[in-house]
Amino acid sequence: MPIQHVKRGDTVLEARGITKRFPGVVANDHIDFEIRAGEIHAILGENGAGKTTLMKILFGLLQPDEGEIYVHGQKVTFRSPLDAIHLGIGMVHQNRKLIPAHSVIENIILGHPKAGSIPDLKRTREEIAELCDRYGFKIDLKAKVWQLSEGEKQAVEILKTLYRGARILILDEPTSALAPPETEKLLASIRIMTGDDLALVPFITHKLPIVLAISERVTVLRRGKVTARLRTEEATENSLAREMVGREVIFRLDHVEVEQGKAILEVEDLSALNDKGLLALKGLSFSVHEGEIFGIAGVSGNGQQVLAEVLAGMRKAVAGRVLIDGINITRSGTLERWKNGMGYIPSDRIDVGSIGAYSLADNVLMNYYFDGAFSRWGIVDAQKTRKLTERLISEFDIATPGPDTTAKSLSGGNLQKLILARVLSRRPRLIIASLPTQGLDVGATEFVQNRLLEAKRQHAAILLISEDLDEVLSLSDRVAPIYEGEFMGIIPINDAGIEDIGAMMAGLKQKVAEP
Amino acid sequence: MRLGSYEVKLEKKVRVTGLEATGISLLAIVIGLALVGLIFLQAKVNPLTGYKAIFSYAFANKFGLPLTINRSIFILLCTCAFIVPMKAGLWNIGMAGQLYGGALAAFGVALAFGAKGSQTPAAAPGLIIGLMILGALVGGAVIGSIPGFLKGRFNTNEIVVTMMLNSIGYWLIAFMIKEGGPFMGGGGEGEGFKLSESVFAPMVLGWTFTIPIALGVAALLYFVLAKTTLGYQIKAFGLSPSAAKYAGISPHNVPLLVFILGGLIAGLAGYHYFAAVPGVYKIPLNYGDFGDLSFYGIICGLISQGNPLAAIPFALLFGGLTNGGRFVQGQLKMGYGIDYALLGVLMITLVAFQFFYRNTIVWKKTEREP
Repeated sequence: MPIQHVKRGDTVLEARGITKRFPGVVANDHIDFEIRAGEIHAILGENGAGKTTLMKILFGLLQPDEGEIYVHGQKVTFRSPLDAIHLGIGMVHQNRKLIPAHSVIENIILGHPKAGSIPDLKRTREEIAELCDRYGFKIDLKAKVWQLSEGEKQAVEILKTLYRGARILILDEPTSALAPPETEKLLASIRIMTGDDLALVPFITHKLPIVLAISERVTVLRRGKVTARLRTEEATENSLAREMVGREVIFRLDHVEVEQGKAILEVEDLSALNDKGLLALKGLSFSVHEGEIFGIAGVSGNGQQVLAEVLAGMRKAVAGRVLIDGINITRSGTLERWKNGMGYIPSDRIDVGSIGAYSLADNVLMNYYFDGAFSRWGIVDAQKTRKLTERLISEFDIATPGPDTTAKSLSGGNLQKLILARVLSRRPRLIIASLPTQGLDVGATEFVQNRLLEAKRQHAAILLISEDLDEVLSLSDRVAPIYEGEFMGIIPINDAGIEDIGAMMAGLKQKVAEP
Repeated sequence: MRLGSYEVKLEKKVRVTGLEATGISLLAIVIGLALVGLIFLQAKVNPLTGYKAIFSYAFANKFGLPLTINRSIFILLCTCAFIVPMKAGLWNIGMAGQLYGGALAAFGVALAFGAKGSQTPAAAPGLIIGLMILGALVGGAVIGSIPGFLKGRFNTNEIVVTMMLNSIGYWLIAFMIKEGGPFMGGGGEGEGFKLSESVFAPMVLGWTFTIPIALGVAALLYFVLAKTTLGYQIKAFGLSPSAAKYAGISPHNVPLLVFILGGLIAGLAGYHYFAAVPGVYKIPLNYGDFGDLSFYGIICGLISQGNPLAAIPFALLFGGLTNGGRFVQGQLKMGYGIDYALLGVLMITLVAFQFFYRNTIVWKKTEREP
């Protein structure tokens, strides 16, 4: 079936009664949904609501157990993504699938039918340049992909599918890795595309403002079912959040006042190298007190991760000292720090914070196996571990069949809850929380933030590293914007204006403040 | 895929029960044997006659059975030596080098106490035997610690290092036992010296006592891996080194530890075959064959999915087939290498059938589309 010419408003893709079961869950439960030419259709849902499964089915990566797909009114069966591509469906994955060492143009023509023979690079370049002009992408086609910013890489992915002739574009979390100005640019390009009667399905989980700003229609999924199907103009941020989570969501947290105690974490003149051997922390000094949340705000890659790893004992400091409760732990290993009351919530919850193949109980054991109460003569007390895991599952409302389930079967939000539960259950005096809500939906974000505030009430000292300025401002007592491994200042929250901090994160302004 | 009016689909399996795994393995063995039947047929031998000869020699013959058991125990120990690093995500390809190290150390102890040939040893035989075993463990562990240390400290590729050490071990033994070497035998046949009768390994009910020890090692290893904090840390490191680091598990010590443990067990395998199997009691001329045999530990460890207890029947099967296969080659006047062909095909089918550990085939009757 050739790609047909479509008119604005025509239904181009329709799914009827799509059902997909995985062992133990129904990921998609009789989902009906249609998308029209020239329209941006957002699919909204919490982590684990079944969005990705649905998109994979529409792109032929998964086959539905029940249900039918119609493209331009004709029933189709996708055996593989190739079938979907032939019908003009393109998918831009959340994780980039580009070859960094190759140029933009080489990436775009890779796998293209025309590239089978000797590629006519000159003509190809002209064609792609034309696409760029049309949709407002400003990209050096000769540049290597590793030289590009995240936003440019995203554009290359989109160009690639467009050049393959896609008329229906599925965008999986297209803005999740982008900085605000890049998001704006991307949205502008997407708007031009809809003018060309392309149908788009950007699906965005937690960035409700973007859904509201750009889409014409929203389908909300919850636990595999469609809970709402509306025109965006009828929706508000609150109404969408309610449909998505199934209850009211509070967007702004009240500031929690807790009397601060002594300094738990003291950092003096700390310097460290990153993986490339370059100086990523340049003589940081600060302290975090009991009952205080110390927020570090910054654009990713300015040394925050290096700081978290140094504090957790997973990376060596090249200079300076770290003290927990007055004890110098600069040279201590990770294990000693855990035993001294540190709790670390790493930003990479899949590869660092958990072990996918291990059961939930064994994942909980990650922070307990060294604890004398959980083993005897070197033999793990499985009973006790299981009980603790069961308790944490119920206390933290983790959606899972039980402690024997593997961690990789958990959705992102539930996995983060598990890590949080495990770390907090040790009642750490110092919590290092690195990007604790990144990638989480509104419900899980709210949950995590409330738990951190709860820990603060119980007089833990909390170091919060976040790229979400709203989060830093609503949770922290003091904020330190970080830029290229240096604090641009340390500001009490009441004196902090969002513009000032934004400017400091960009390295523009140095403000003298109390240490 | 569609077959007639049936829809045939592959589905991912979440977990496999012990019973299913056994069934799958048995099916794989049956199919492997059927395939090798073709080799018998082209040699104009009835496969049933061939298999009957193989199995009856390997498992029901008074000369064949002890040989099978002793070989199987040797393979089982090599399997355990492979499994420990495997659980930490590392490949021990060096059981040969480690068992050579163990054998050299054990015979070194014997020589030091003058427990050679018809001489009278200079200490109580029990003490010497104990020290020989200890020596074998230490010898294997020393060789094993080299790749482990290099891996942990410098992230050196452990496969290359263990392979190289196999070669070094092989020639080290050659140097020690051939003409002029300190472990040279009396006959000048290129063998090592024979142990004094008094330090032959003790027998239990007519079997060498290393057999119960090896079974004990497998059981202990199973327990350590499944139930202890040590096993927990080893497996965590194997599944995700970065998560293990987060949990405070040392990325330097785990590789060193698992290779020391692996080497230790491989060293015991060296002691078992050269110092405890009746009729051997020396480092024989064909010691290299046992280095080769140790590689069955790899396949055995992979097929049993790192479970030392599940490895026992496979070790028994492989031990029996190498033995029986070699026997029928002479008995039925077949071409050279029938035993290798048999084991090779069997390994391929066993590994291929592991596909069904993770997938199942689903048949569904469907109505034809209009």
